[in-house]
Amino acid sequence: MSDETVAVDSADYWPEGSEDVDEGIVANWFVRAGTRVEEGETLCEMQVEKVSVDVPAPAGGEVSEILVDEGDDFTRGDPLARIRSA
Amino acid sequence: MSQETHAEERELTMSRAMVGAIAHEMREDDEVFVMGEDIADYGGIFDSTEGLLEEFGHDRIMDVPISETSFIGAGVGAAQAGMRPIVELMFADFFGVAMDQIYNNMAKNTYMSGGSVSVPMVLMTAVGGTYNDAAQHSQTLYGTFAHLPGMKVVVPSNAYDAKGLMHNAIRDDDPVVYMFHKRLMGLGWMPAPEGPKTGVPDEPYAIPFGEADVKREGEDATVVTLGLHVHRALEAAEELAAEGIDAEVIDLRTLVPLDTDAVIESVRKTGRLVVVDEDYRSFGVTGEIVARTTEEALGDLHAVRRVAMPDVPIPYARPLENEVNPGVEDVADAVRSVQE
Repeated sequence: MSDETVAVDSADYWPEGSEDVDEGIVANWFVRAGTRVEEGETLCEMQVEKVSVDVPAPAGGEVSEILVDEGDDFTRGDPLARIRSA
Repeated sequence: MSQETHAEERELTMSRAMVGAIAHEMREDDEVFVMGEDIADYGGIFDSTEGLLEEFGHDRIMDVPISETSFIGAGVGAAQAGMRPIVELMFADFFGVAMDQIYNNMAKNTYMSGGSVSVPMVLMTAVGGTYNDAAQHSQTLYGTFAHLPGMKVVVPSNAYDAKGLMHNAIRDDDPVVYMFHKRLMGLGWMPAPEGPKTGVPDEPYAIPFGEADVKREGEDATVVTLGLHVHRALEAAEELAAEGIDAEVIDLRTLVPLDTDAVIESVRKTGRLVVVDEDYRSFGVTGEIVARTTEEALGDLHAVRRVAMPDVPIPYARPLENEVNPGVEDVADAVRSVQE
């Protein structure tokens, strides 16, 4: 068994109809660094223009790093967090 | 006591905590339903019903035409007929167009019918300013709703309390006005302060009405407040702690019933009372708390200050609104002034 780190890729959850937009914000985090999550659990809510999307955990494990703070902007494809799956 | 959030715990915004409670009660009881303007397809303009339509469909999550009189009246009727409606009044400011339904029917029909009907209805409404929406969309009107006998009045300040109070509101056989502050909901376009997002248990739990919560313990002054200003008071208390002033912060959580005992107990300890309210200064929450405290604990009271919205229509312009809406510094100054 080895630890593997999985990035939460914002592009994977981009809302339909927003293909021509490249900027988003993180409206809310529901976990912190250190929180243990199951695969599919909601990690955060991102907004692209005014469309809100819940971002699920791509893998189970421990949130090792939050990369975009609540209220901050990001560009499509930026990783939002990393999860260390054990 | 306050709910502390630890790193390992998942957190929810206040809106999601409210939705979680509503969804749970809807699964448990087919008589519970929600109606209001833009609460179905849009999910509530402040996210108070976000996601409910997908699970429960349009029969139980109903958008209604813009007629507060008709849909609040329909809610009262449904409640009297045995259902448990949750009716959203989009902005508390709009209560005026449905005042007869709220003040005379919702609040009084239990009494007027000699108890032959009850009105187990929740009137859920958005309150408060700080986002430049001007005089007709920024009021809290806590005093207006708490003034009239017959309705219970709930004002949560964080996600943990919002869920427990919502469970209790829906289960209560009396009409409940559930007033949520827009700034606390966790909206992307209206960022919340630190604090309203908390750990929230998955399982249902009810927070009884009439139990204030000491959000911070202190010895030097009692700060009594509610809603958004709980967080401003806590921030002021942190600032004051650095100066050696130890403020206690009491979150009323419900105005009707009002936990006078919690206020009196704290004032007997500190001797100094500061009441902070986002509603207007005159004929409101601040005056009521001060009056009750003087009636019961005059001998223990050394100094009193009120911090509230002045008696003016709330301005649209940002610098003017910031001037009238009590800020962290206003609270801190008031606590300093009662130390003298």
